[in-house]
Amino acid sequence: MENSNNHLDVEKKSERSETVDLNDNTLQVDISDALSEREKVKFTVHTKTTLKDFAKQDFSVVRQHEEFIWLHDRFEENESYAGYIIPPPPPRPDFDSSREKLQKLGEGEGSMTAEEFKKMKQELEAEYLATFKKTVAMHEVFLCRLANHPIFRADTNFRVFLEYEQDLSVRGKNKKEKLETFLRSFSKTTDEILLGSTQKDVDEFFDKEKSFLLDYHSLLKDATVRADKMTKAHKDVADHYIKISSCLLEMATADTNQLERFATKTADIFEKARKIENRVSTDEDLKLSDTLRYYMRDTTAAKNLLYRRLRCLADYEGANRALEKARAKNKDVHAAEWSQHQACEKFEQMSAKGKEELIDFKVRRVAAIKKNLVELCELELKHANVTTPFTFSLKSF
Amino acid sequence: MADDRHAPKLDDEFNDDDLFASAIEIKVEAKADISLEDDRSNGLSPIEEQSHNLSAADEIDLNSDSEYKDGVPDTKAKIELRSEPEDIFEDIPEPKEVHRETMAGRSTLETLVTSPRTQSCNAYHAGTMIEEEKVITAESDGKFITISVKDPQKIGDGISSFLTYNVVTHTNIGLFKKTEMTVSRRFSDFLGLHDKLAEKYLHKGRLVPAPPEKNVVGTTKVKMAGGQTEHEGKLPEFVERRRAALERYLIRIAIHPIFQVDPDFREFLECEDELPRASNTSALSGAGVLRLFNRMGETVTKIAFKMGESDPWFEERHQQLETLESQFRRLQASLEGLYSHRRELAFATAALGKGLALLSNGEDHAGLSRALAKMAELHDKLEGVHNDQSNADFYILHELIKDYLSLLGVVKDVFHERVKAFQTWQHAQQMLAKKREAVDRWEATGRSDKVAPAKDEVLEWEAKVNRSQEEFDVISKAIKKELELFDLQRVKDFKAAFISYLEAQMKAQDKIIEHWETYMPEAKAIA
Repeated sequence: MENSNNHLDVEKKSERSETVDLNDNTLQVDISDALSEREKVKFTVHTKTTLKDFAKQDFSVVRQHEEFIWLHDRFEENESYAGYIIPPPPPRPDFDSSREKLQKLGEGEGSMTAEEFKKMKQELEAEYLATFKKTVAMHEVFLCRLANHPIFRADTNFRVFLEYEQDLSVRGKNKKEKLETFLRSFSKTTDEILLGSTQKDVDEFFDKEKSFLLDYHSLLKDATVRADKMTKAHKDVADHYIKISSCLLEMATADTNQLERFATKTADIFEKARKIENRVSTDEDLKLSDTLRYYMRDTTAAKNLLYRRLRCLADYEGANRALEKARAKNKDVHAAEWSQHQACEKFEQMSAKGKEELIDFKVRRVAAIKKNLVELCELELKHANVTTPFTFSLKSF
Repeated sequence: MADDRHAPKLDDEFNDDDLFASAIEIKVEAKADISLEDDRSNGLSPIEEQSHNLSAADEIDLNSDSEYKDGVPDTKAKIELRSEPEDIFEDIPEPKEVHRETMAGRSTLETLVTSPRTQSCNAYHAGTMIEEEKVITAESDGKFITISVKDPQKIGDGISSFLTYNVVTHTNIGLFKKTEMTVSRRFSDFLGLHDKLAEKYLHKGRLVPAPPEKNVVGTTKVKMAGGQTEHEGKLPEFVERRRAALERYLIRIAIHPIFQVDPDFREFLECEDELPRASNTSALSGAGVLRLFNRMGETVTKIAFKMGESDPWFEERHQQLETLESQFRRLQASLEGLYSHRRELAFATAALGKGLALLSNGEDHAGLSRALAKMAELHDKLEGVHNDQSNADFYILHELIKDYLSLLGVVKDVFHERVKAFQTWQHAQQMLAKKREAVDRWEATGRSDKVAPAKDEVLEWEAKVNRSQEEFDVISKAIKKELELFDLQRVKDFKAAFISYLEAQMKAQDKIIEHWETYMPEAKAIA
């Protein structure tokens, strides 16, 4: 994973692989290419493996976003994975905002000079590119986590996903199915809340975890929203620098006296300042907001795990009660016993695995946040240090 | 002293009314003399005295060229009447005639024509251009005047309350009674000053700086604000903006060589008592309504009358000013945008800080929690920095542009005055032609009784034609001069503003660096 270099967001990827336990090269997955067509983005998933189960050593397939989601759903549904934290699915590639801005820019073309227009277009294109890179990174991270997980990597669906050359013909859910999913998730949430209040957990560890995660999740969400707002404001400031610099440039060309050189230089400075501000804002976005966002999603996945476990516990207790009842009535004892036994096993397995996963999650989270904070700090310093010299140079005028 | 007070009245070009021509002449010569002496006593630089002699020579020549044969004998008269300066001055009411002593050079020996205004045309010879530059430097050599507006204070309560400001002046210009003075003025006083100056100078083609705008909402808020204790702490932002704008306004008047020595201006700065309420400036007063009508009428004439422009310089300048104005407007819009976005950034940063603080509370890992808490603090500090920066954006750049936009408005008004002068001139010419025709007609029909008065009328109109033509020339020249001053000032102002803005930026960046550097070890320390 670290070796993939056609990918631009190496940092995020390597962060992932650093903090995941297994790190061998028997199965390497990356997204080597991505094409954006209108509404869809087509990812080229490239696999390199030394495992015998695969037909070839090195192969690529083309996948779309829906197919990633399909894969995630398969994992989520699988009962045997109930004890694990399923990596959160990547977000839909969202170019809407960029597209909107481009449209607005096109409409407003008449009101600004050719230069200004060109610059703003450049800005937009850079933004679009950045969003694109980000979405590719997200998808890749998802796949890598799956590939690195000892259990998940052996899943047949995963294998199919990687190998099957044809289109998986996973159609996006149509309206009815979407409604179904919505209702299901709704019932799930109510169930969760109900369980959360009625079911008392046997194990203190899990109890604490649960309350912690619930809180943490909402805090993370809040922080993410705010971080996003800040990044956007930063971008706006940078955009305005463009306008000012072009105004000044115009004034300079119209002015025939000493103000001309001065104004040109000032316009230049604003230009540079803008670029830097922009870079600052994208960096912030990357380091801070994205980290927060990712962990928010991860926390959701952890919460899901806990929920499943709780559900399992409820089932277990239900089975226990059924057994007692059966024993009391002295019929179907064997069936009840068996189901109780099943439930018990499942529950214990889940608890054990779950505990592991949650501890692991914590470690991962701390390390990742720390790394990102440090990098953010460094970048901010770098940028601030660069801006100072050229504002200084103007004083010589 | 009568002397000191009257000394600088070299040029009575701005006397419109009841001075007799002869009185003017005498006064002028007398003035010339006194000014010579007083100039020296006031320590004017030798340059000015020289130029003053120069123009004296010029003026005399001009006199001979002028249409008025009066010119020549008058110069002789000048010499004779030297002995009688004081008394004549006593009669002349003060506000009428001050002219900048620094313009001593150009205006000493005025040509003696009936209309005082035409005298100023002699003032603006090519030679005087150089004098003007010298004047500005002379200022920085020895003469200076610094003004500041401070301490807004609310007087009274409720609807009848108002704000006063302390106007503090430091100067070593001799005209002023003292070198340092502080007076208390309210906003309507400033408007009154503007009205007086505009009345005197606008139609001469001088650029009278525009005062800050009225602001009904802000003013009412201040009036309605609670008792003393409340306003002590925080007067609304609008008051601070107004204070800064008033200061800039006074400074702009002070650097203008003519206005600097204007008696109204001096009175404004010096007079310790309250000035008479300039109730004419209120929008609802009789004068206000009249003003409104006048303005409407002017707008109509502006649209209706197209002046055949004889001077390409004006054409070009007009174009240039139009482009400048549109550029300024765009710049202002962008600056406003920048300002509001930076404010948003500051808010968002603060909000993030709070969010991070909450997160750190919820975080169970001790090291991470501490790091997050520190980050929250950091963002709070960053918010402060951003706020400061946005203040710089606003006060330095935005207000500057706004001021210049209003100044451009004044320039347009002044151009319009010139158009009006042209109109008067044309009108006079037309009337003259008509009267001449009348004379011819009467002569042809042999009505000798009508011929005589008609001829008188012709003479009268000839005089008017000449007068209005001179006025027109005067105003044209004045405008040219003013615009040069304006340009120089503009360049200076802009440079200064941008440099100080960028310095503020630099400081902000430094602070940001500082903050992040303090944070860095925290981030690294997460266990």
